[in-house]
Amino acid sequence: MAGQKVYSAKRKRFINNSIVHVILAVLAAIWVFPIIWVVLTSFRAEKGSYVSTFFPQSYTLDNYIRLFTDTTILNFPKMFTNTLFIAVCSCIISTFYVLAVSYCLSRMKFKLRKPYMNMAMVLGLFPGFMSMVAVYFILKALGLTEGNLIRLALILCYSGGAGLSFQIAKGFFDTIPTAIDEAALLDGCTRWQIFTKVTLPLSKPIIVYTVLTSFMAPWLDFIFAKVICRANSDQYTIAIGLWKMLEKEYIDSWYTCFAAGAVLISIPIAALFLFMQRYYVDGMSGAVKG
Amino acid sequence: MWKKGLAVMLAAGLAAMSLSGCGDAVANGGKEKVRLMVWSPSEDQSKDSGEWLQTNCEAFAEEHPQWDITFVYGVADEASAAGQVAQDPEASADVFMFANDTLTTLTDADGLTKFGGKYREEIESENSQQVLDSLTMDGELYGVPFTTNTWFMYYDKSVFSEEDVKSLDTMLEKGVVSFPFANSWYLPAFYIGNGCTLFGDGTDESKGVDFGGQKAVDVTNYLIDLEANPNFKIDQDGSGLAGLRDGSINAIFSGSWDANAVQEALGENMGVAALPAYTLNGEEHQMMAYAGSKAIGVNPNSDNMVAAVELAVYLGSAKAQELHYDLRSVIPCNETLLENGDLATDPLVQAQTRTFNETSVLQPFVSQMNNCWTPVENMGKGIRNGSVTHENAKEQTEAMNDAMNSDGI
Repeated sequence: MAGQKVYSAKRKRFINNSIVHVILAVLAAIWVFPIIWVVLTSFRAEKGSYVSTFFPQSYTLDNYIRLFTDTTILNFPKMFTNTLFIAVCSCIISTFYVLAVSYCLSRMKFKLRKPYMNMAMVLGLFPGFMSMVAVYFILKALGLTEGNLIRLALILCYSGGAGLSFQIAKGFFDTIPTAIDEAALLDGCTRWQIFTKVTLPLSKPIIVYTVLTSFMAPWLDFIFAKVICRANSDQYTIAIGLWKMLEKEYIDSWYTCFAAGAVLISIPIAALFLFMQRYYVDGMSGAVKG
Repeated sequence: MWKKGLAVMLAAGLAAMSLSGCGDAVANGGKEKVRLMVWSPSEDQSKDSGEWLQTNCEAFAEEHPQWDITFVYGVADEASAAGQVAQDPEASADVFMFANDTLTTLTDADGLTKFGGKYREEIESENSQQVLDSLTMDGELYGVPFTTNTWFMYYDKSVFSEEDVKSLDTMLEKGVVSFPFANSWYLPAFYIGNGCTLFGDGTDESKGVDFGGQKAVDVTNYLIDLEANPNFKIDQDGSGLAGLRDGSINAIFSGSWDANAVQEALGENMGVAALPAYTLNGEEHQMMAYAGSKAIGVNPNSDNMVAAVELAVYLGSAKAQELHYDLRSVIPCNETLLENGDLATDPLVQAQTRTFNETSVLQPFVSQMNNCWTPVENMGKGIRNGSVTHENAKEQTEAMNDAMNSDGI
């Protein structure tokens, strides 16, 4: 009797697990499907934007090679470096902004603290591209809409608003006990030293999160780049380049290269994530000792 | 209060900076310094296709020794140039290329100069009336045309004879035909072919759209049958070209931009023709495409108006058009050029020119035209997914007509 019961419980668990796994497998397949399709297309040897088969009939690396060699019409390597430069710069700047602002709002008591947080909240309700045209004219008045200064203009655009998106990091800092700060203060630390030597090492997960989001925003942005770059093709970012590849005149010959480009732009993000994800685990472990 | 003060200071600073941005052209050794910003599609500037723009601009500079010209090149293709110029005409190119259906966008933004005097006479002497009409609004000429812009038919010569391609119904019996059914740049060809009109002759906004009545219902019914024909395939997302490649489709409708791809797919068997006629209630009706032109425009905010206009006329001249054709197969519209030499025998040029002259109507560019795209597209989609049937064809057609005549939102 008892044996029978154990057996049926095991069996029940097995059936449950099987059902769950089948559902998960189906969901995973649906989720991965478009990605696999893009990767397959990037290796497709047949030209054109439309194919009747899911798997390419023949494979090639030419699409990748063409992206980097056929640069007279759409200069992908240049766009890639442009975007990388812009994204790295704005990532560094806005990460610093976000963390510094969050730290101040979390640890210091000053008169403008509450009003500032309210203002940020209200401003955060408006989508950024609402001010797009105004931003363009301000940058034009500053002379930043021509030549290499466009890069500076874009970096300013992407990192300028960083001080408003402090909420998540501030919430994280709030969870670190102030007692640690006070102890450090007693030991003779300055505010800056507390920030860099005590708070930051304890907040790796939120740093990772901030770095990733502030890298991805400029890396993927299309609308600001389009409005600010206008006809300066040497300043185009990859988002504009990929969009151009799908225009009527280019789509037939550039479609597979577009897929190759789409695969390539995911590499820096993936690399950054793989490099940083181990800090997710570290985080608070061993933070507070006796 | 403090923040407000800062904002005012910032604004003042910006204003001061924008003022100091203006400078004067300085005379140098008897030559006037001229800075011309020119926008064109990137192929016109690429080394692979012969740097058409640079070649012409340098030749222009040599012809005009009185100016010391600095050219600044930018990339904006004809379709998107209007958007770029309209965003900020003052910081846009002095000379740019645009598609004529964006004419009102440009004039509304004060981004297009009228051509007059000897320049207008020169342009008028070289182009057909229909090309000129495509760039004329309220009697004023707004650009130097350099090519016509329309769509026609590519077909497989091994399947269809030259006689076959005159009738869509004959073609459907002999081979597979693909047509961009859910694309409102193409679908009206059938309606216009049966006497439907847009804004009178295309310029009179008050006359409105006439896509209703029995004539339009007949076309809708024809289209429902056409869609059901097993030899008819809807061309979408490039499926037509892919079909030409693997042989499952024998004729598609597209424009000169696909010429190289079709050439590659069909090789020797590539045929090009103007639009066929279709048979409705026993009568032949000619399909009528939308036609437009691409032209070179001059920015009225240019600091060097004379040089800019001269350059625009130069870029639209017969010589420049011929080079454009040699380097990039851009089909010229200059009349003397079209009658002579290689051009007169090139089937692609012939097909496009014949379509433009005979089987097309001028694509209206009055602003109400903007209401006409979505209803037609929805009609095509409705027939495709079966929601428009013979039973409700009349109501659906009237609904399309009403939507085209209303201001929408």
